[in-house]
Amino acid sequence: MQNWGHPDKAEQLAALAACFECSPDSAQLLMAAMTEKRFAAGTNIALRGDPSAMLFLILDGNVVAEIFGIDGQQAQLTRHGPGEIFGAFPTATQHRADFRATAETRLLSIPADTLSGLARQHGDIGSGIAGLLARQLDLMLDRMAARIGLSANGRFHKALLQLADAQGEIRPAPVISALALSVHTTRETGSRALAALLRRGIVERDAHSLRIVSRRMLEDMVV
Amino acid sequence: MTGEAIPSILSLARSGATSRAWDAFVSAGLDGVAEVDALTLKGRLLKDRAKQAAGAERAALFAQSGAAYAQAATLRPDSYPLINAAAMALFAGDGASAASIARDVLTLVDGDRLQGETPYWREATRAEALLLLGRADQAQGSFQTAIACAPNAYEDHAVTLRQFAAILAATGDDAGWLDMHRPAAAVHFSGIMNIASDDAVAAQAVRTAIADIAPGFGYGAIAAGADIIAAEALLANGAELHVVLPSAAPEFCRTSVAPFGAEWVARFDALCDAAHSITLCNGDSETSRAGIALADYQAMGMAVAKAGLLETRALALRIEPESRPALGDPWLRSRRSIVHVAVEESRPPVAFTALPEGKLLFFVALGADAGVADPMGFDTLSDAIAAIPPNTPQAAIDCNTTGERSTVTALLSNTPVGSVFASSNAAMALQTEGRCRRIEPMGEMETSGGAVEVFAVWPNG
Repeated sequence: MQNWGHPDKAEQLAALAACFECSPDSAQLLMAAMTEKRFAAGTNIALRGDPSAMLFLILDGNVVAEIFGIDGQQAQLTRHGPGEIFGAFPTATQHRADFRATAETRLLSIPADTLSGLARQHGDIGSGIAGLLARQLDLMLDRMAARIGLSANGRFHKALLQLADAQGEIRPAPVISALALSVHTTRETGSRALAALLRRGIVERDAHSLRIVSRRMLEDMVV
Repeated sequence: MTGEAIPSILSLARSGATSRAWDAFVSAGLDGVAEVDALTLKGRLLKDRAKQAAGAERAALFAQSGAAYAQAATLRPDSYPLINAAAMALFAGDGASAASIARDVLTLVDGDRLQGETPYWREATRAEALLLLGRADQAQGSFQTAIACAPNAYEDHAVTLRQFAAILAATGDDAGWLDMHRPAAAVHFSGIMNIASDDAVAAQAVRTAIADIAPGFGYGAIAAGADIIAAEALLANGAELHVVLPSAAPEFCRTSVAPFGAEWVARFDALCDAAHSITLCNGDSETSRAGIALADYQAMGMAVAKAGLLETRALALRIEPESRPALGDPWLRSRRSIVHVAVEESRPPVAFTALPEGKLLFFVALGADAGVADPMGFDTLSDAIAAIPPNTPQAAIDCNTTGERSTVTALLSNTPVGSVFASSNAAMALQTEGRCRRIEPMGEMETSGGAVEVFAVWPNG
C-alpha cells in the first residue's frame, strides 16, 4: 500500500459530495476523516478473517472479493468499481473475503465508527449513505441477474441530462471526475464522453457552466 | 405518460427486433397518440419496417413513416421530423411531395436561426433539402458549410453521408462526390518484434506508409518493434491512437516489451500516456498467446467498427519481411485492404520465457425454439457462426480464453426474440472477419466478473 502523492483536494471534495449527495460542508467533514490510499494491480487490500474497521470508497480502479470454496478453488464473489464501497459499516467486523485490487486502485478509507458518528450528527450524510447503499444493492442485484443496463457512456449522458435545468444549463459546471464517479465509471471515461459531446456541438461549455444544445441527441445517446 | 414506454421500444428497435418493437409500440397504445415523441418514434419504426419490406408494401410503409414525421412537425415546427418526412416521401416514390416538403424545410431553416439541433445539423438539414430538390451543387456547398461548423463531428457527417447516399440511390444520381467528405481511414497495425530500437530504415518505411494512408485512427497493441514504431508514427501524423492490450499494461510490458530492452519500455510508457484510449480486452492476469489473439480480434474489430460508424475505410497495416506470408491473419477473411510494409529483422531474436498458449474459444447459445439446451463451444468463429441456423429467432455469441460459458448463457437470457446478441469480444471478432453486416451497441451487462459490453449483431447469410 502506498499513500497517494498529490491529492487534489477540490476534486476529492466534489467526489465525496457527488457520491454521498451531501453539502460541501458535509463533504468537508467526511474528507477530514478520510485517508487516501493507492494499491498497485494485483495487491491484496485485506484478507479474509482480518479485522475490518474501515469503510472504503473506490475513487479509481477495481477491487474483487474472492473466497476459497470447500473444493479449495478460488472463486470471485463480486467486483467493485469506481464509486462503490466495501468494508465495515456501521461497526467494525471481520473481512468475510479476500479483497484484491485488479488494476491500480485509489481508495478513500474512513473508520466505520467515525462514519457512523457523522451519519448520526448530519442528516445529509446519513441519507447519503442510505442512497449509496441502495445504489450498490441495485448494482449487486443487476450483477446477480446479469441484467443489461446502460453503458458507462450512457450513464454519464443520463447524469448530464438529470443535472440540467429546463433550458439545458448546468451551472456551475460539474467536476467531471466526480460526476463520473457518481455513475460508477472512471474520470477518463467521463472526460472522453464530454469531449465527444463538445466536439459534436451537442454540449457547449464556458468558464462556469455547461449547456445542452440538443437534448434529443443527448437522450438518443443514453444507451 | 407516453414517454415511459418509449426507451424500451427504442431499445427493441435498436436490437433489430423490428416487428417486436412495432408490436410493443401498438400495445403501449402509442399508435394513435398525437404527441411529438410518439410520432417521431412511429416514423422511425415504420422506416425500419419499410427497409425490410419490398415492392408496394415498402413504398406504403415509407409513406406512413413520412406521414408520422410530418404530423410531428405540424405539432411543433421542427426541421428534424420535417426533413425526415421529405426523405420518406422520396423513398415512397413520391418525388413531388418530397420536393414540396423540402421547400418547407428551407423556409423553416432560413426563417428561424434556432432551427437545427446543432450548428452542424442546421446546415446539413439545409443541404439535404437542397439535395431532395435536385440542387446537388448547392447541396454540396451547404454540406461543406455544415462540416466547417463542426469539422470533427465525424459521427454526424457519417449520418449525412449515409442519408445522401440513400437519396442519390433513389434518384439515380451520381454519389461519387460524397467520397471527398469521408473522414480519414481507421487502421489496424501489427508487425514483427525483432527490430533494433535505432533501426532508422524500418522507422522511415513505416512513417512513409502511414503518411501515405493519412489515417485518422489507429488500433493495435504496442509490443516492442513494429507495433511501437507504427504507434509513434500514427501520433506524429495526427491520428488518434487506441491501444488494445491482452493483459494489464505492466504485465504486457513485462512479457512483450521489456525483454527487448529498456529503450522500448520508455517508448511504451510514453505511448500509454499519449494514447487516446487503452482497452484491456481480457480478464486474464497473465499474457497468453490466446489472449493476444483475442486482443488482435478486438483491435481489428474496433478499427472496422470505427470505419463503419464514420462511413470511411478500414485497412490493416502489416509490418513484416517481404518474404513472410500473412497466413492466419483474421483480417484476410474480411477481404478488406491490407497495406504491407516490408521491413527486415534487425536484431537477434530475444530469448524470453515462452508465453503460455491458453485457448481462445467461441460459444453460441440458441433460444429454446432451437432445441439445443446448452451453449456450444467451438475452436473457430466460422464454426460458431455455422451453428446458428438461418433465420434463427434468438441467439447469443461470446468468445473468451477462460472457457466459461456463463456469459453466453446470460447474454441469451437478455436477447429479445428476433435478435442475435454478442459480447464485445465476439462482436469485434465478427467485424474483423467480415461475418456481420452491422453491429449496434445495446449497453452493458453486469456480471460478478465485471461489466460486459453487449451488441446486437446481424451475421451475414
